[in-house]
Amino acid sequence: MRKDLVRLIASQFGKGVFKSRAMLPIIGILLLLLAYATYSGIQYHDQNHFREDHQHMARSSWENNPDKHPHRMAHFGTFAFRLKHPLSVFDFGIESYTGNAVFLEAHKQNTVNFSEAGFSTGMLRFGELSLAMILQLILPLVIFFIGYSSIVSDRENGTLKILLTQGASWKEILFGRSMGLFIIAVLLITPFFLATMIFLLTEDHTVLGDWARFALIGTSYLLYASILCLVTIAISASSRSAKNALIKLLGLWLLMAVLLPKVSQAAGAYFNPTPTKLEFRAAIEEEVKKYGDSHNPNDPYYNTLRDSVLQVHQVSSVSELPFNYSGFVMSQGEKISAEIYNRHHDLLMARYRLQNLPAKWLALINPYLAIRNLSMALCGTGFESYVDFQLQAEDYRYMLAQKMNDLQIKYISPSRLSGSEGKRDVLNRETWKSIPDFKHEFMSLSTALKNELISVISVLLWLLLSLWGVQYLSHNAKAI
Amino acid sequence: MLEARNLSKKYGNTDALQDLNLKVGQGEVYCLLGQNGAGKTTTINIFLGLISPSGGTALIDGVEAGRKGRTNHLIAYIPEVVQLYGNMSGLENLDFFSRLSGHKHSQQQLGSLLLKAGLKEEEHRKKLSFYSKGMRQKVGIAIALSKEAKVIFMDEPTSGLDPKATNEFTVICKELANENKTIFMATHDIFNAVNVGDKIGIMKEGRLIQSSDTTTINAHELQELYLKTI
Amino acid sequence: MMYRLLFRQFLRTQACQLGLLLGLFVGIASLFVGQQFLKKQDRIALEVEEKQQEHIERNIKYHGDDLGLLLYYLKFSIVNDQEPIAALSIGQKDLNPTVQSVNIMTLEGQRYDTDLVNPNKLLYGNLDLGFVIIYIFPLLIIAFTYNLRSEEEETGTWKMVSVMTRSNLKFLLSKLLVRFTPLAILMIVLFALAGWFLKIPFASQLFPFFVISFFYLLFWFSLSFWVVSLKLSSNFNSLLLLTTWLGLVVLIPSMVNSYVANRFPMPEAFTTIINQRDGYHTKWDIEKRGTVEEFYEDYPQLAHYGFPTEEGFTWHWYYAMQHLGDVESSEQSRLMVQKIEQRDAVSKELAWFIPSMHVQLIFNDIAGTSLNHHLRFLKYIKSFHEDIRLYFYPKVFEKLTAESIDWKRFEPFHFKGEKRSFDWSKTLLPLFIGIIVFIGLSAFGARQSFSEI
Repeated sequence: MRKDLVRLIASQFGKGVFKSRAMLPIIGILLLLLAYATYSGIQYHDQNHFREDHQHMARSSWENNPDKHPHRMAHFGTFAFRLKHPLSVFDFGIESYTGNAVFLEAHKQNTVNFSEAGFSTGMLRFGELSLAMILQLILPLVIFFIGYSSIVSDRENGTLKILLTQGASWKEILFGRSMGLFIIAVLLITPFFLATMIFLLTEDHTVLGDWARFALIGTSYLLYASILCLVTIAISASSRSAKNALIKLLGLWLLMAVLLPKVSQAAGAYFNPTPTKLEFRAAIEEEVKKYGDSHNPNDPYYNTLRDSVLQVHQVSSVSELPFNYSGFVMSQGEKISAEIYNRHHDLLMARYRLQNLPAKWLALINPYLAIRNLSMALCGTGFESYVDFQLQAEDYRYMLAQKMNDLQIKYISPSRLSGSEGKRDVLNRETWKSIPDFKHEFMSLSTALKNELISVISVLLWLLLSLWGVQYLSHNAKAI
Repeated sequence: MLEARNLSKKYGNTDALQDLNLKVGQGEVYCLLGQNGAGKTTTINIFLGLISPSGGTALIDGVEAGRKGRTNHLIAYIPEVVQLYGNMSGLENLDFFSRLSGHKHSQQQLGSLLLKAGLKEEEHRKKLSFYSKGMRQKVGIAIALSKEAKVIFMDEPTSGLDPKATNEFTVICKELANENKTIFMATHDIFNAVNVGDKIGIMKEGRLIQSSDTTTINAHELQELYLKTI
Repeated sequence: MMYRLLFRQFLRTQACQLGLLLGLFVGIASLFVGQQFLKKQDRIALEVEEKQQEHIERNIKYHGDDLGLLLYYLKFSIVNDQEPIAALSIGQKDLNPTVQSVNIMTLEGQRYDTDLVNPNKLLYGNLDLGFVIIYIFPLLIIAFTYNLRSEEEETGTWKMVSVMTRSNLKFLLSKLLVRFTPLAILMIVLFALAGWFLKIPFASQLFPFFVISFFYLLFWFSLSFWVVSLKLSSNFNSLLLLTTWLGLVVLIPSMVNSYVANRFPMPEAFTTIINQRDGYHTKWDIEKRGTVEEFYEDYPQLAHYGFPTEEGFTWHWYYAMQHLGDVESSEQSRLMVQKIEQRDAVSKELAWFIPSMHVQLIFNDIAGTSLNHHLRFLKYIKSFHEDIRLYFYPKVFEKLTAESIDWKRFEPFHFKGEKRSFDWSKTLLPLFIGIIVFIGLSAFGARQSFSEI
């Protein structure tokens, strides 16, 4: 390949596209969508303010508690409000479908409630207009539209013969056109990343590694665009007529971006049914009960526990123990039920992952799914980041509950066997302040990437495949 | 300059070309006549190196056509309808295509090439989508001139041209021949063939069945011959 | 005779065969998805029936002598009854639980619990029949009609056709009818299958759903025909129609959604749950008398139960504290509900101009899976909660035991959702107007354009 020839063909193609009348409306529509998506992205992200405010509100009422029995504080509990990753401005991912607030209290793992989807009138199910969505879904259409006839119409009208006899090789023509198309795609993509960059620069609420993520997202979308360009050129070069090429490309788009994702997720869900909250809770309750029911005064497990504790300390009743026994029982109960809950929760998440598996693996044959999954993961708005939030919230809840139990064991009179009401058996209010507030840490970039390894492989594979396809056609394409 | 030796081409079981033998000297204009599907375009495509023959050889200046682009610098091609790129001007199209062949002409040189091909100065900077068929063809000729090709292949260059444009085309063809360019064209236009051609061949079902010199035959005789052989 | 030939010609095209096959496949798949959804809902409702009495009996065994403590543990289930038609448009039902269980403590902390759902599943949405009709059918219509006229022109038959037929318009309309018939049949087949497979009552549920689908189909045909009447090339038609499709079923609804979400943000949801917690918990730290006084302000009929002593624990005081959690969050909760209602109203108004959205919202309404329906369920829970509290309060305050109550009364409760009469004119009008507009536009264009070639 002669570089100057490739460059010449690319620039001729690019100039031609920008001179065509169709470009103006396309750029106009894209800019409009860009502006709207940026606006709503920033608005959504601004909900972080509500969430931070409420986190502070919940915290200050925690800290304002007077001297109290620690078990009262265990029930007072606190809230975890899920903060959005700054890059959620770019890709909303599953943010709108996940809960945003969870009440963290002793004995009970509450659901994360108040998802945007719960407040939505059902329109949300049409999809969300984010910067990422435009690049994933609309950009392919634009590239297909610009490039579908690039080779085939030259063949239809004989210009291709002139090109070849003038001395350009197939390879130079195909790669030159691909490059021209790619340059246009880059020009179209750039404003999207500029918008995101400006947001990142002006946003105070930053997260470590933002820019590394940003760079990776940018790279992945460039790779995605180059795949799209190469595929467009390859299909244009191998089709009988321009109309044929367009139909093939549009069909491909519908299959890859509309049908396959929906059908694969539906199949995953159909073949891996999950329990409802009611069933999930019932199963946990059942198992906890099997272990021992602390509410049952004659429960063998807790009776044995009590007897063995009494024996170790050589006393005859729990009020003679050197520590508060009811705190000790609660801490045992919390440990057992948390362990059982976590196991069930893990199983449920494994089940969800199983549901997601078809869509995850189909990314190998579907670059749209690959970029979609990868982009979500990199923006901290994917499935795994949500699971991670839930785990951190549960860890904090457990820590808080056990801390209160420990305080009760240590500082509450052993003779107080039940109840937590009143001004006796209380701890100083300063204690509450010493317990750190919940703070969500975002998943590390490397973990996020590891979770989406399939998608990374898919993007690279598709790039190689489409390069090979164009290379193959440069030896086998027909000029007539 | 051009030579076909036992050239044949099969598509599946059908013979598009059978044992074609012809010779065209430098500066000669060769016109290939024949019905649709007689094998004229196939012959041109083989010389252009766009398809390879099933048998025999096509030589350009003694070199086998199409082999790794070794004959590419010798040839140029003008299709029946010169489309090129509608949103670029004639000058820009010429610039692009001449650069493709590795020639870098100044704007002035490009302009004079277009003038030589018969395109008036005021048309040079208009977009190609406003050109008539004849004007586009002139750009095609200028492209061929720009790469200094020794052989120019043309596919039905006069079809769809009005009489005035056809006449202009004839004049240019003769000028090119005077400059020692070899022209090889497939055409249906018997009168034009006699007018510009030095040699004429008639093809039928993939075979060259008649070959004559225009010095020995006039248009009327050729028409009779054509109708008789077809 | 001509119709037979036109049919044969169309049925032989790959687009027709592939398209109908795809429609049938996805349609049937959607019925299976719907069936699974219904089965799950039924199973849960059944389980709740079985477990409620067992739950009550077990707790009576441990805490039967202390009604206050017993009611601390007892939960009462309310089932949001599901009509089979919900399978055709699952709507918000995947997110909102079918069964809510509440005890007589603060309601605001219990009412908003969502079901456990895979967020990825929500992201991709349910593959129900509603989706097939709103998304897939228009695509089939586009694939069948985009080259209705341009194909003839591009293959060179248009001139011959226009010379041979008396009216070009009539010829194109017969071609359109030939494309309409198989799709209408496909739709009827899918609805018949749905009715039979999911046992959906025809007159009250399936029929309105079908009529709307049918009008939606007509809308897309009239839109396509208008594009055809513009006499553009096949390539341009396909791009124009596909872009319109993308706009109508993806871009515009998503823009409206983010507009609505941003216009009515819901910080009140968060404030509500913090307020209900603080409202209840801070009462532990203040004088009991004040708390109970406040409680009596809401329920003067209970005032004769007097005030508990400041020392020690009484259920009387405990449930008064719990109630104040609801009282102190009621303003925020009211605002939140108000905003949800505003969202619903604005969406419905805007949907008037966007057929796809309109049809989706109507589908959810008919199926009882809309946000509005869930809101009514939440309101029902609230009044239910009030009823059982007022039933139990006197008994707890009188320190009765479990024996004094007829627990058989506490079978799970069912929320039927009031039967609202179906407003045909309001529902069909937007679609009807859309159809008329596009028929008008194409007729206007056709008068001048189809007569010439």
